[in-house]
Amino acid sequence: MPEGTGALREVLPKQGTRGEHRQAQPARPGPHSRPFSPFAGQLSVEDTAAMVLCKPKILPLKSVSLEKLEMLQRAALDAAQASEAAPPPSAGAAPPRQ
Amino acid sequence: IQAAWNLKTRALTEMVYVDEIDLDQEGIAEILLDENAIAQVARPGTSLKLPGTGQGGGPSPAVRPVTQSGRPITGFVRPSTQSGRPSTMEQAIRTPRTALTARPITSASGGYVRPGTASMITNPDGPFINLSRLNLTKYAQKPKLAKALFEYIFHHENDIKNALDLAALATEYAQFKDWWWKVQIGKCYYRLGLYREAEKQFMSALKQQDMVDTFLYLAKVYLRLDQPVTALNLFKQGLERFPGEVTLICGIARIYEEMNNISSAAEYYKEVLKQDNTHVEAIACIGSNHFYSDQPEIALRFYRRLLQMGVYNCQLFNNLGLCCFYAQQYDMTLSSFERALFLAENEEETADVWYNLGHVAVGIGDLNLAYQCFKLTLVNNNNYAEAYNNLAVLEMRKGHTEQARALLQTASSLAPHMYEPHFNVAILSEKVGDLQRSYTAAQKSEEAFPGHVDTQQLMKQLKEHFAML
Repeated sequence: MPEGTGALREVLPKQGTRGEHRQAQPARPGPHSRPFSPFAGQLSVEDTAAMVLCKPKILPLKSVSLEKLEMLQRAALDAAQASEAAPPPSAGAAPPRQ
Repeated sequence: IQAAWNLKTRALTEMVYVDEIDLDQEGIAEILLDENAIAQVARPGTSLKLPGTGQGGGPSPAVRPVTQSGRPITGFVRPSTQSGRPSTMEQAIRTPRTALTARPITSASGGYVRPGTASMITNPDGPFINLSRLNLTKYAQKPKLAKALFEYIFHHENDIKNALDLAALATEYAQFKDWWWKVQIGKCYYRLGLYREAEKQFMSALKQQDMVDTFLYLAKVYLRLDQPVTALNLFKQGLERFPGEVTLICGIARIYEEMNNISSAAEYYKEVLKQDNTHVEAIACIGSNHFYSDQPEIALRFYRRLLQMGVYNCQLFNNLGLCCFYAQQYDMTLSSFERALFLAENEEETADVWYNLGHVAVGIGDLNLAYQCFKLTLVNNNNYAEAYNNLAVLEMRKGHTEQARALLQTASSLAPHMYEPHFNVAILSEKVGDLQRSYTAAQKSEEAFPGHVDTQQLMKQLKEHFAML
């Protein structure tokens, strides 16, 4: 199954057979403990590329001219639509009379 | 009665007046059949048609979304912001050209016809001035009336030919000593597409009288002739005569931005702010540059300044929300986005806000919310390529490979200039084992964004694979 980002899997080195000693000092790495070597138990390194998301979009602000232009275009569209709506009802009324 | 006529004319013009300096809509025919190109292939850094060759120094497409032409999205959009020169007819038709809708206008008159129907809006009973019955010679001899009449014809009626006739007569009458008429003739030539003639007129007007506007118009001509370096030199000349003039400095910054030289553009926008620290365009552009340079807190400061100045629209609140989130000011984020949604004027703006909310959701780890947000984006705008891409990534996480593939296909066909869908198709195909498809997709991704390290690694891997076979 797709596991997303490649994870570096490390297996920690085995703690060894000195069980009693370890149990006496469970948490503290004492001065006599073995030095931690990061690659000791490493089984595999996977670095698969992950799918990328598209980036968040900062929206550009509009200039005053652009806003006025949009407003004019909208007004013209409305005016055009209004004038289109007026003739068809009158044209539609004529034929049914025959 | 003449005064009343004058006043009415000027009032009608003012209703539909859009500053010619800003207005710059190009039809498809003009873009594709450009006769003004001097050389077949422009040297890098000297043309507006080719995005800059890496002299930008700005954030890469890995961090900053790009528009169709390959330029990064800017912080500010004007009527003349070029969305790029499409190379094929198909792309040209797809490019949104009008301010309102995404449908392209097909000829130079397309955008202007609508303002020309302004007379329908202002005078439902018929035109105020009947142009065909006008005796232009008579009016040309009365300079005050002539000027008002010219502006009316030019802006309100949009009848460039008549306007040009009037202007020519008036110039003659003024014995070629009036710089104003020369500028107006230049504007008419510009609209008619006669750029070299327009240039001559503006230069002659400049010799007579230095005016900032003339510099701006002349620079527009040079930009239309695709000579950005000439325009830059012109602006610098203008700055010598008008030191500190904000519009000239802003012009320089815009040109650098168009040429993809973001660092110089940012420098000049900062100069603008030194002169005028309420300049919205400069603040918006610098803010977006900082956001994409991984400095959201500074971007936040800039956008808050805009808020202080009274800018109150959907885009600003969206940007504030994004900056707050990435600057880790989580208290303000959601309320900004709520405000943005409330202020959205049309579906495209709503879609943009939902898209960014989806990003916020991904950031907090709520993938269900992210899924819903991206779906809402698509509800508002069915052609939102980025939302398709991100939905595909989410579907992959759930393991729905086929759905992801379908979504990615939609995304890549809607937006072939974006590298993300192609790259994701490559990854997906490679996982499934379809190496051929993966390779072709990776090639497309490399075309769109040559500097992407992951794509290059993937291609290397695939090449090794193929070499082994």
